Amino acid sequence: MSFLRLALSRIVASVFTLFLVSLIVFGTAQGLPGDAATRILGREAPPAAKERLRLELGLDMPVVTRYAQWVTAAVQGDLGMSFATRKPVSDYLGPRLRNTLALSLLAFLFYLPLSILPATLQARKPDRPLDRLITVITVVLLSSPEFLSATLFLFAFAVHWRFFPPMVQLHDVMSWGEYLHALTLPAATLGLLLATYGVRMLRESLVDITRSDFVLMAEFKGLSRARVLWRHVLPNALIPWMNATALNVAFLIGGVVVVEKVFAFPGFGSALVDALQFRDLPVITAGVMIAAAIFIFVNLLADIGALIANPRLRTQG
Amino acid sequence: MMRARYPSALKWGAVLLAVHLLVAVLGPFLAPWAQDQMMAGLPIQGASLTHPFGTDQMGRDIFSRTLAGGWIVITLSVGGTLVGVIAGAAIGLFSGTVGGWIDEVLMRLTEAFLAIPFLIFALLIVSLAGPGVQGSPVLLILVVGAGYLPRVARMARAAALDVVSRDFVLAARLRGENAWTIARGEVLPNATGVLLVEFAVRAGYAPIVIGTLGFLGFGLKPPTPEWGLMMSEYRNLLTVQPMAVFGPGLMLATLVIGLNLFTEGLSAMARHGRAERAA
Repeated sequence: MSFLRLALSRIVASVFTLFLVSLIVFGTAQGLPGDAATRILGREAPPAAKERLRLELGLDMPVVTRYAQWVTAAVQGDLGMSFATRKPVSDYLGPRLRNTLALSLLAFLFYLPLSILPATLQARKPDRPLDRLITVITVVLLSSPEFLSATLFLFAFAVHWRFFPPMVQLHDVMSWGEYLHALTLPAATLGLLLATYGVRMLRESLVDITRSDFVLMAEFKGLSRARVLWRHVLPNALIPWMNATALNVAFLIGGVVVVEKVFAFPGFGSALVDALQFRDLPVITAGVMIAAAIFIFVNLLADIGALIANPRLRTQG
Repeated sequence: MMRARYPSALKWGAVLLAVHLLVAVLGPFLAPWAQDQMMAGLPIQGASLTHPFGTDQMGRDIFSRTLAGGWIVITLSVGGTLVGVIAGAAIGLFSGTVGGWIDEVLMRLTEAFLAIPFLIFALLIVSLAGPGVQGSPVLLILVVGAGYLPRVARMARAAALDVVSRDFVLAARLRGENAWTIARGEVLPNATGVLLVEFAVRAGYAPIVIGTLGFLGFGLKPPTPEWGLMMSEYRNLLTVQPMAVFGPGLMLATLVIGLNLFTEGLSAMARHGRAERAA
């Protein structure tokens, strides 16, 4: 199959998955049996308030009609009105999403060296003390809940040594320097948490590749160890690592929620948690859809990236 | 006879797990104070010999509360994982055995569920379950199970596909057995290994899910001494009394490290065993 057709079929499959996700999310958020108004306001709420909410939700209409209306509006960028803030959902989530995007990009900058450097150090001399030590550290970090590691960093770098503010506050009139300073600690935390997955994955493939024939060949040619590692081994390990990184975006989205909560960061994750706490249905529906869409999109990019980087994939399947 | 050699990961994992199981069973009896006893000491005290993790705002002994949390976290984790593995295995094995459009539909659905990050999916269910059932242990078990279901289903389906083309499955089909009976009678016995590994791997992550939900206020409710919940309750004591936060956190982390090492050791042993048999 040609590259274009394969890529196109991946895109169609992704759009279809997104459609299914919208059914699931809308179904659970607004189509569950039982009275949504009672679930949102609680049993003791006055009947008048419940009735008002029912009208606002359009509960007098069938689910299918409501879903169709929601989708048509959503495709045009209208995500509905937030119950809690009385503002359009996009006005509320938009700026939060921008903050989280900045946070994630900065986290990615931390992630790159934090995953590549330890893994290369490990692969240079596998099964030696340094390799073992880094393995132990990654196992411990991987096993620790994100809120524990994040709280630990907060304690160390914002409470014990006051390098960073313990609460992230973002204003409209911040300079770039202030903005970066506020973002650094949560971004470093996120980058490190993400890197624990990356390091393990990259170490395995680096060690595998070091033992393959073409690397032996390069060594026999008399190339230096460093040159072999950087020119022959690393480029070949980067494709599976890229795929693993894309899969980690699922973790990243969950991790963002926790890290943002710990640092009181005004981002998408904390906005979603707040909405879930107050059962702000329009924000919840939009937020979960956005999270799923990001995940699907990044995986699509990784799939297509792999197709470009590795022509052999185009002949199978 | 050659002496059996166990991977060190397995040994360390087993030790950590044994300690945690002991604490879970005996902890509440060995604890110096009842976990819910107020004014066991003066409120908000730092670590001391009588109160190793200090005391909280109500004067409860945080060390005793931490000891009491073990069995809660372990029971919920095992329960939730069991629900997820059993339901996921049922759907996955059936899907792989029956094949055709049913399989296609089921797998597209699991794909869609997997596109929603686990934590967000869990938060969504808890939030929409409504205030009436929020904080109930049964809800937490169901949430963990529901989150694992699509993940386990995909593994179970892959295991089923390995077997369905074999002769004994064909024989069962020719006997006229339906897909459900074949999945249970022929495919399941051949997938137990995969499912056990799935159980171990998933059980290793379940305490983190439960702790995170508790930490975010979507898990068990106070005054339950669940570790994630305790960490969020004591967050504002961080400057005065770090052990109030890191004590429960350390317990949670060591439990998960133990589970992960144990699983890793087991699978290393299984690989080794296969390699030896093949040689």
